[in-house]
Amino acid sequence: MSGVLIGQDAMLQPLHEALRDAPVDDCEIWVHRRRSAITRYARSQIHQNALADEVHVHARAVVRGALGVVTTNGLEADALHRALAGAAELAGHVPANADWPGLADPEHISAPRSFDDATGRADPAEQARAIGAITAAADRAGFRSAGTHQIEVTEDAVANTRGVALYAPAAMAYLRALVQSDVGSGYAEDLAARVGALDAADVAERAIAKCELDRGRRALPPGDHEAVFEELAVAEILRVVSLTGLGAQSVREGRSFMAGRIGEQVTGPRFTLHDDALDPRTLGVAFDVEGTPKRRVTLVERGVARGPVYDRTTAKQLGMRSTGHAADPSRYARGGHAGTLTMLGGDATREELIASVRRGVLITRFHYTNIPDPRRAVMTGTSRDGTFLIEDGRITAALANVRFTMSALDLFAGIELLGRQRLARDWWSSNGMGSVVCLCPSVKFARVTITGSSPT
Amino acid sequence: MTASLADLVDAARRRGAQYADARWVEREQASVTVKDGEIEGVERSGDRGIGLRVLVRGAWGFAATDRTSEAGVAALADEAIRRAAASAGTRRMAVRLAPQAPQRGAYRTPVARDPFAVPLAEQVDLLRATDAALRGPNARTRRAGVSAFRTRKHLVTSEGTDVEQELVDTATSISVLAVKAGAKPAQRSDMRNARQAGWEFVEEDDLPGRAALYRDDAEAILDAPLATARPTTVILDQPFLALLVHESCGHPTESDRVLDHEVAFAGTSFMWPDDRGRLRYGSEHVSMTADATVPGGMGTFGWDDDGVPATRTTLVDRGTFVGYLTSRETAGALGLPASGGSARAEGWQHFPIVRMVNVSLDPGTRRFDDLLREIDDGLLLCSPASYSLDEKRQNFHFSAQVARVIRNGEVEGHVRGVAFQSLTPDFWGRCDGVADDWALHGFLSCAKGEPLQLMRVGHGAAHARFRDLPLEVVP
Repeated sequence: MSGVLIGQDAMLQPLHEALRDAPVDDCEIWVHRRRSAITRYARSQIHQNALADEVHVHARAVVRGALGVVTTNGLEADALHRALAGAAELAGHVPANADWPGLADPEHISAPRSFDDATGRADPAEQARAIGAITAAADRAGFRSAGTHQIEVTEDAVANTRGVALYAPAAMAYLRALVQSDVGSGYAEDLAARVGALDAADVAERAIAKCELDRGRRALPPGDHEAVFEELAVAEILRVVSLTGLGAQSVREGRSFMAGRIGEQVTGPRFTLHDDALDPRTLGVAFDVEGTPKRRVTLVERGVARGPVYDRTTAKQLGMRSTGHAADPSRYARGGHAGTLTMLGGDATREELIASVRRGVLITRFHYTNIPDPRRAVMTGTSRDGTFLIEDGRITAALANVRFTMSALDLFAGIELLGRQRLARDWWSSNGMGSVVCLCPSVKFARVTITGSSPT
Repeated sequence: MTASLADLVDAARRRGAQYADARWVEREQASVTVKDGEIEGVERSGDRGIGLRVLVRGAWGFAATDRTSEAGVAALADEAIRRAAASAGTRRMAVRLAPQAPQRGAYRTPVARDPFAVPLAEQVDLLRATDAALRGPNARTRRAGVSAFRTRKHLVTSEGTDVEQELVDTATSISVLAVKAGAKPAQRSDMRNARQAGWEFVEEDDLPGRAALYRDDAEAILDAPLATARPTTVILDQPFLALLVHESCGHPTESDRVLDHEVAFAGTSFMWPDDRGRLRYGSEHVSMTADATVPGGMGTFGWDDDGVPATRTTLVDRGTFVGYLTSRETAGALGLPASGGSARAEGWQHFPIVRMVNVSLDPGTRRFDDLLREIDDGLLLCSPASYSLDEKRQNFHFSAQVARVIRNGEVEGHVRGVAFQSLTPDFWGRCDGVADDWALHGFLSCAKGEPLQLMRVGHGAAHARFRDLPLEVVP
């Protein structure tokens, strides 16, 4: 086991000690340790280089059906005990919550993922070497480069007074490159569970190729166009779908596109989406912050809404079983978070996707999308770092960034061709704190609605 | 903590750092939320830790930990130096910090009533009264909440700065979602009502009164006719303009964006160094200022995280772009004589980056009623709903929570679905009047940086009028 890990025994022991002396019968502690080394570069040199090692403790105590919560960042048993005592005191001041589902009971959890020691051991020099490979390649092409190399090691532990005691380590490695000329830019990235899977030369090559094409930008007139979305652009749409409609709370409150439509055809038959933290090709922990095993959830099957993900509270409210999707309430909306999405792909190559377009647009990724109409999953955002005109199956010109405004359901109704799946995070989720990880394909869409454009 | 910050800075210097600063931060938060009349959450949180930043051969390294034993803290210096050395291996231009005289002292938020000492029962009573005011015939989901924040910081630098601060913030939130068969759901909310102050801020804010207005808006929007897509005259209210100033002036005047520090994530700017004094940003009615000294502002402090005293910087002067938000590093890179004091880190675990302080639209001299009276046919837009901007902060799209018809100088009924897309200079160029009813707003979570840092910032604005703004309609 890597020396960078605190380890199962050292993580769970203080939880057991604190729970042994718990101030009330029903208590739960979730601990998330995060060691994140983020090296950022711009203008072909490293400008920020930070390591943060932190522990987040979430302690819950229940008194006569009332819940108190205290969070802190001390892993020592006495700090945990103080947190539980504080939570119990808060719970004593509030009335019982009729929706309280009780703490989780122990259940079988799938075998944890293997933890890659080499990723845990990666040091700043190794991160700098990967960045150096990109900056050198960009230099040779006459461009400047910017981006991020991130190594993240996490350890999650959950224990409660009903006997749950879980632990899982995880690792993530990420490398991105934005290559710029005076007139354009190109972007590429790699995301993996192992640092050894990052290919700096390939990331550089892909970003440089895009940048070389991005010159002489033209403006695309507003209107409906055929389109190819690469994986990062598809991941952006999937995040919007997740945030607007895949949690049980949003269904219960009538905000979700699924509300009142479960079992109905909500989009096209080529769209199938799961949440599956157990898929070995993606990143995820096998249990949630309440200690419930994560289950593979079919969200949309061949365009038919099948149902959302649940935490314990929404499961009780709606007469269901938790799917193991309770998430850190300090970062995500309550009621279930679908953060490990897998979208069914196909086998089309990038060239085949482009070749299938008579006249349309290729989008590499989006920036700052938002959701004007959550109920219909309408999103708007601008493209960036590689937007091109496709004519007769070939890229023929660079385009100024376009504004896309459309319902994700209408978009997926127009899937014509699917590429191979790739691990990807959308623009927002690439912020170093995670949000939604997608295993998704690039896609040829019959129609996207472009409503505006940035200046050329 | 067993080791002192000064010892840590000394340790970094002995290991070869040309500059070092150590920052201890301790944060507390307490919040209560009521949903549909029942308590949804009662939570307290806190964290504390230490961050060490070093410059080695002109390049930065940073390490942070919450394990503050002597051994844990000593390992920080080694890690920060190791990271700086790796950075230095790629260095093409050395970091040059703008000069700053050593600072000593303490700053505390003036607080009349400690929000952490307010009895829980009093908070719950207030929120239940607020919730009751949100009840309407079609209200599906109602939420009301109060939060309190306390941040204690201690900064020691190798140049002799040693400053301590205690910042106290208080925030409220209200939201109501109205749902009715055959109508699009209507959401009315306010998530940006925060002040650097104690519980007196909550006492001065009439939460139940505001909740009743939000309830009435949500109910009215359900039955409102769809707006018409056309160019028209609009007046935007202060909460709407606070966000517009934030997104379209605050972010593009962050100087790290023009140095490409954020190009791969948060983006760049359309306001370049050579544009200062030349770029027409808006009409002559538009002036914008960054000011970390505004009483009650969420971007107010004694010193930033570089140890630079709070100051005031003009960003846009009567329509012309003139200045940036800066840190010591970015001021040095841009050749400015001094930092504008905008280096801020969310917590102990974060590297300080250029952030907004209190960035505001300066008040005008007209009365709101006069701006209104001069409109024969237009809209009053209140509070933003969705917003999206391109990576240069040039093309943007905003939609409104509330749109009221203005006819012959009078505010009439609601219309729904109002949105607009514009380019920043075009939008602000349409401004033909700013009122004198300036009001301060506070945001809790401006997002930027990798890892993401959520910063508290302040924005002041007054009602302002924009001519011939092309409107879109979201059906």
